[in-house]
Amino acid sequence: MLITDRYQGPMDVDPRRDALSNGDAGREGSGMESNFSRVIDLLPGLVWTALPDGRADFVNRRWCEYTALSFDEACGSGWQGSVHPEDRPALLTRWQSLVASGEPGELEARLRRFDGEYRWFQLRASPIADASGEVVGWCSIATDIEDHKRREEASAARGRRFEQIVDGLPAIIALFTPDGKIAFSNRQMLEYLDETFEQVQAKTSAYNFHPDDRDEMLSRWAAAVQSGEPFDFEARLRRADGAFRWQWMRVFPMRNAAGRIDLWYGLSTDIDDRKWAETLLAGEKRLLSMVAQGDPLVEVLGALCRVVEDAAPGRLCSVLSIDPDGVRFRHGAGPSLPAAYNKVLDGLVMDRYYGPCGMAAKLKRQVIARDVSSDPRWAASPWPALVVSHGLKSCWSTPILSRDDKVIGVFALYQHEPASPSQREFELIRQFTQIAGVAIERAQSEQELRRSNAYLAEAQRLSLTGSFTWNPATDEHYWSAETYRIFEYDPSTEVSLGLVLQHIHPEDRGLVDRVVAQASEGKDFEVEFRAVTASGVTKQIQVLAHRMPGQDDRLEYIGAMLDVTESRRSEEALRRSNAFLAEAQRISLTGSFSWRVATGEIAWSEQVYRMFEYEPATPVTLDLISARVHPEDLPLLDDMFESAVRGVPDFEYEHRLLLPDGSIKHLRLMAHGTPDQGGQMEYIGAVQEVTDRRVSEEALSKVRSELAHMARVTSLGALTASIAHEVNQPLSGIITNANTCLKMLAADPPNVLGAQATARRTVRDGNRAADIIKRLRTLFGKRDPTSEPVDLNEAAREIIALSWSDLQRSRVIVRAELADELPPVVGDRVQLQQVILNLLLNAADAMSGIDDRPRQMVIRTERAESETVSLTVQDVGVGLDAESAEKLFEAFYTTKSEGMGIGLSISRSIIDNHGGRLWARPNDGPGVSFTFSVPCTADGPAPAPEPAQQSAAAGLQPAMVKR
Amino acid sequence: MSTRPLVCVVDDDESVRESLPDLLREFGFEVRPFSYAKAFLDSDCLAACDCLILDIAMPEMNGPDLQRELERRGRHIPIVFITAHVDEKVRRRVLEQGAIACLYKPYSQADLLAALHAAIPAQ
Repeated sequence: MLITDRYQGPMDVDPRRDALSNGDAGREGSGMESNFSRVIDLLPGLVWTALPDGRADFVNRRWCEYTALSFDEACGSGWQGSVHPEDRPALLTRWQSLVASGEPGELEARLRRFDGEYRWFQLRASPIADASGEVVGWCSIATDIEDHKRREEASAARGRRFEQIVDGLPAIIALFTPDGKIAFSNRQMLEYLDETFEQVQAKTSAYNFHPDDRDEMLSRWAAAVQSGEPFDFEARLRRADGAFRWQWMRVFPMRNAAGRIDLWYGLSTDIDDRKWAETLLAGEKRLLSMVAQGDPLVEVLGALCRVVEDAAPGRLCSVLSIDPDGVRFRHGAGPSLPAAYNKVLDGLVMDRYYGPCGMAAKLKRQVIARDVSSDPRWAASPWPALVVSHGLKSCWSTPILSRDDKVIGVFALYQHEPASPSQREFELIRQFTQIAGVAIERAQSEQELRRSNAYLAEAQRLSLTGSFTWNPATDEHYWSAETYRIFEYDPSTEVSLGLVLQHIHPEDRGLVDRVVAQASEGKDFEVEFRAVTASGVTKQIQVLAHRMPGQDDRLEYIGAMLDVTESRRSEEALRRSNAFLAEAQRISLTGSFSWRVATGEIAWSEQVYRMFEYEPATPVTLDLISARVHPEDLPLLDDMFESAVRGVPDFEYEHRLLLPDGSIKHLRLMAHGTPDQGGQMEYIGAVQEVTDRRVSEEALSKVRSELAHMARVTSLGALTASIAHEVNQPLSGIITNANTCLKMLAADPPNVLGAQATARRTVRDGNRAADIIKRLRTLFGKRDPTSEPVDLNEAAREIIALSWSDLQRSRVIVRAELADELPPVVGDRVQLQQVILNLLLNAADAMSGIDDRPRQMVIRTERAESETVSLTVQDVGVGLDAESAEKLFEAFYTTKSEGMGIGLSISRSIIDNHGGRLWARPNDGPGVSFTFSVPCTADGPAPAPEPAQQSAAAGLQPAMVKR
Repeated sequence: MSTRPLVCVVDDDESVRESLPDLLREFGFEVRPFSYAKAFLDSDCLAACDCLILDIAMPEMNGPDLQRELERRGRHIPIVFITAHVDEKVRRRVLEQGAIACLYKPYSQADLLAALHAAIPAQ
């Protein structure tokens, strides 16, 4: 059609028309043939005929016009020159084969136009057969297909480019039929799935979607098909390697010319990286906001683990923090790890040889244990077996560092299979280790801050010290809680200078006003004043304020406010009590001292210096003391020193001082020891000068002993008179009656009845006298003791207390060694105490002449044998020879002038009456021990003494004396 | 009967009050015993009493007290003291106060009679 149009114009003017006409003329001969030739010339194509051998024998006018060849030139094989050289061989070959086959055929080749341009032509050749079917020639028509060909080529090129573009796009592109069947997929898609298009085609719809996304995708598809509207959604699509990756899929309908949707165009972009980054970013943002809000660390770390585990499915996340001492791990979070395992980690000592976390912390670098059970680094550790027992096979540990590059924790990921981190996981670990670090550090510093704030508040509270700032120009104040407390303002009170001034004590108001005035000039200030608080309490307040540094243009003070009420009060009280004490010590002639035995430090009060007549502040040493102690009393000092070294908690001594002027002072010293923190004894004591008292006591004592002696004599005399009175009374009666009786009998006549009456009275009075004698015998003779349980320890302590003064005066050092859990004895408490007193006084007397050694007396109780309790009084006195020991217990035997001898005899009889024994035995060293033993209550009442027992025991007791 | 002198005995000891009057009656004395000093003072014998035998130690008013009381009343009754307490001081004092004698129990019959005769010379 086009060809026809194009070649209509030049037909009439073509100069070769003549030639054609000529040709026509040459083939004239019949009218039919001529018509045919005209028709052929008019045909819209290049027509030619050929002989059976293929040589051209006719070309039409259009041919000649197109090629600019003359008829003759074109006939034969001349037409071949118009064929494009590139196409010519193929054309000729094809033409030859057509001719040979005798079948019709089509060929394409470029033919050169008169102007030299080649255009494509389609050449159709058909054989001309005669009636017998033999080919008698060929008829061909060449149709200009250049434009068509061009369009075709352009279209093909466009198609190729589209395909390249579609394949080259970094997206999955596919076409679907409305029923969801895939009609096309680009290369990206096939590569992503690693399948051929045919394979994809064979699968069911959406087979490669994540199970969680598949249903939504199908329903969205169905809805879109229904509505004909495009849609988009995000879903995970499984990649060839099995990983699901997020894709953003957009689906558009494609309508055909009729406006019907026959295809759906799908475009899917891989957004997995973005999605991952977004997820992590969202997680990070959430975690950081938790940190910022100050959520508890354990919650932050727990959330962190979950974010990480969401981002890296199959990884179990753990965060350990490290104790401030840097020694132990603390469980931070491990929500997916077995609780038992977390428990092991909590408190675990960091050890690089224990496991990767320890190693990461110790070496401060990441440690990847791909397969824990085969890792040689922990072959000797119990850790691999432990993790494996929890089903874990690999562990990646990364140290968590603080800003100043200290290891404050370990971030670890565990896997159920041996694995190494992917690049993405490395990045994940890096990112979240950092966040964990921020969280831990924040928690630690918050804790630190809280603690130090708490410390500060507590310190302010304890020290009654508040702090404040004050800007005099603006009257702005900042007060700490304690400052409010001191002034008893509510913490919400708006503080102003005016308010504070209202509470200043009127008498101190002037002072404070002056200070305020000075402060306005920028001078630091320190002031103490009284404030009257809202509750009416007057407080002594000390304020110290400095100009805030680094503020040249602005005057602001920072200061401390102290409630010194109590301390002023106690200072005053202390001052007063110190003064009182000094005065009291002076008046009472009492000094005080302290003595650290281990270091020999001795401190004296002023009064002690006065007593010893040393200059105050002279360093006190034992030598200094010894120099003043009366030489006879030095053994006491030694004893005291020994007691102190032994750590005896309390001691009490009386000793004399011999002062340089020859005067003598009596001192009484009492001390109580307390072990200090190092276990060393420190004694605190009092020293009292008792010289006057001692002198008068000695005088008094002398009088007392004289009186005692006189009393003894007097009472003896009184007793004699009493006995005489009692006896003389009936005797007098007897004699009178007897005289009467005689007189009556001598009368004439004898008064027999009267005599009988008087004789009866005589008998009665005689009996009465006998009764008196019997009573006296009972009083002085043997009698049964009153029976009551007696604690010998208690009895001994009372006697020691009773005789303390006498013993001290005699400079006797008494040591009581009283047995614990001593069973009571049965007897007469007073009688037994008389015995103890007697033994004590005897022992003291026996030592009265001893000056070359401490006059030491030991009073010892013990449970002797099984049924008796004994008490021993041991002295270091003059002692006994064997002869004396024999006679000791005889009545009226004595070695002394004071006549105590009778005491031992009586003591002996008392002890006998208790069914016990009393004996004396010389000591190994100097002195004698007197011991009595009496039955205890363990086996009931005291048994009556049996001679056999006594004599058996007597053999063991040399001092026993037979009566 | 009126010729018999009246001797009063004041002693808290019953055996004396029983035995002594019997003995003195044997020697011809009228005897009235009293167990305590007040009983004697309250009796009707004060005026008629020729001799008083008086114990020294007695509850309430003792012998010397009674002696002083009688002096105070102007009743100069001869008194012979008897006592079981050997106390020379007391003895000396009562004699200085005017007592005839002070006998220590047990006294002899002769001493007693001698004292009585000294007290009642008329006999």
